[in-house]
Amino acid sequence: MTIDILKRSLAFIVLCLAQALVFNHIHLFDCATPLLYVYLVMLFRRNTSRWSILLWSFFLGLSVDMFANTPGVAAASLTFIGLIQPYILDLFMLQDSDDDFEPGLKSMGGDRFFYYVLILDLLYNIVFFTLETFNFFNWIQWLECIGGSTIITVILILVIENLRKK
Amino acid sequence: MRNLLDFIAKYNHWFLFILLEVTSFALLFQYNSYQGSVWLSSANVVAGKVYEWNSSVEQFFSLTHVNKELMLRNFYLERQVNQLRAQVYDITKDTTSVQRNKLQMLSQYHLIPAKVISNSVNRNDNFITLDKGSDDGIKSDMGVVCGNGVVGIVYLVSKHYSIVIPALNPKSNISCSIRGRGYFGYLHWSGGPSQQAFVDDIPRHAHFKLGDWIITSGYSSVFPAGVLVGKILQAYNSHDGLSYRLKVQLSTDFGNLRDVCVVDEPDIKERVLLLNAAKDSLKQKSNY
Repeated sequence: MTIDILKRSLAFIVLCLAQALVFNHIHLFDCATPLLYVYLVMLFRRNTSRWSILLWSFFLGLSVDMFANTPGVAAASLTFIGLIQPYILDLFMLQDSDDDFEPGLKSMGGDRFFYYVLILDLLYNIVFFTLETFNFFNWIQWLECIGGSTIITVILILVIENLRKK
Repeated sequence: MRNLLDFIAKYNHWFLFILLEVTSFALLFQYNSYQGSVWLSSANVVAGKVYEWNSSVEQFFSLTHVNKELMLRNFYLERQVNQLRAQVYDITKDTTSVQRNKLQMLSQYHLIPAKVISNSVNRNDNFITLDKGSDDGIKSDMGVVCGNGVVGIVYLVSKHYSIVIPALNPKSNISCSIRGRGYFGYLHWSGGPSQQAFVDDIPRHAHFKLGDWIITSGYSSVFPAGVLVGKILQAYNSHDGLSYRLKVQLSTDFGNLRDVCVVDEPDIKERVLLLNAAKDSLKQKSNY
């Protein structure tokens, strides 16, 4: 349990710094920005209590906001993802899996994990970019941002999963 | 009662969810009006330190480029000063007048050098974080300039860091004029490329050429008059047809901004007070 929390705190800090110092500066084709920190929320085990998922995602969002000067945007959207993560995970789980089932490429298999990541990330990007472009609406740019960021984030997560598997 | 407690215990995560979402949205909507929220921005201690380390590393690698740029600019200005000095001498036959005027002009302003520690140019709401704060004498609403031109206006200040609204932010509104012609307007930016912005409210009867320089007008009492803004690229009619809208090539390279100066004008307080007093007295008059 404690090891788990320590590991997660480390991942929290690494993802936060990576986002602030590296990924926030990437704008492929003027729209695709990797928002990798969603990965932390995707990795919660099945039996993790809901309130702890919510708190972790809220504070991760808040820290990311702090670095990017977008107060509330990432916090609101990541809390939403924290809420629906258990339900989405249930959709993609095998019936006979353990109670403390940990989502991952190894435990879920390529297809399932891909769709799991894709759906969560797509939902996250939709909420995130809708909130971000609130006062400044431009349909094309909005769609491009969601599409581009989703593709690049999903690819990054799959790559990292592949590396972790070995 | 017991049912109620059971209900709350069973659905506690929903209540927590609603609480956290409300907090987030409060932050989202209050940020722009609430000055106290500086601790949740990149001007707080943790984020500021991290960005400071990061920028000191980046700075090391960009020194050559910045040096070259400054040297060119220096050379250009030196030549201009020499030319002008010759002209002034031709007219007045007074060799020291340029020196005297220069000292007089600069004594009005107090410049605080600062370093950019975080910066963005690709978003809609761009902000810049500086490594100087209220301890170094920076207050909100001070102007920020760099070697090549105007940068923006200080927005939030913490003890050691401050956040600047650059010209590349839709909320920025800098008073500027066309050099040598005097007509003035307001610099706006509405997304798009980080090299271009628009000057609105240039009157219809104004005469200017494409390629003329835009400088700050000094009316806004934030910037001294004559700081470079950019070059006119194109002129359009405004939406209501009553004025011109100029597309401007900004002289400041926001994507590569390192060293800036915060302009502290001691007179600014007096001018703002006077302006507010004038506005108030007009309001009172209109009430009668």
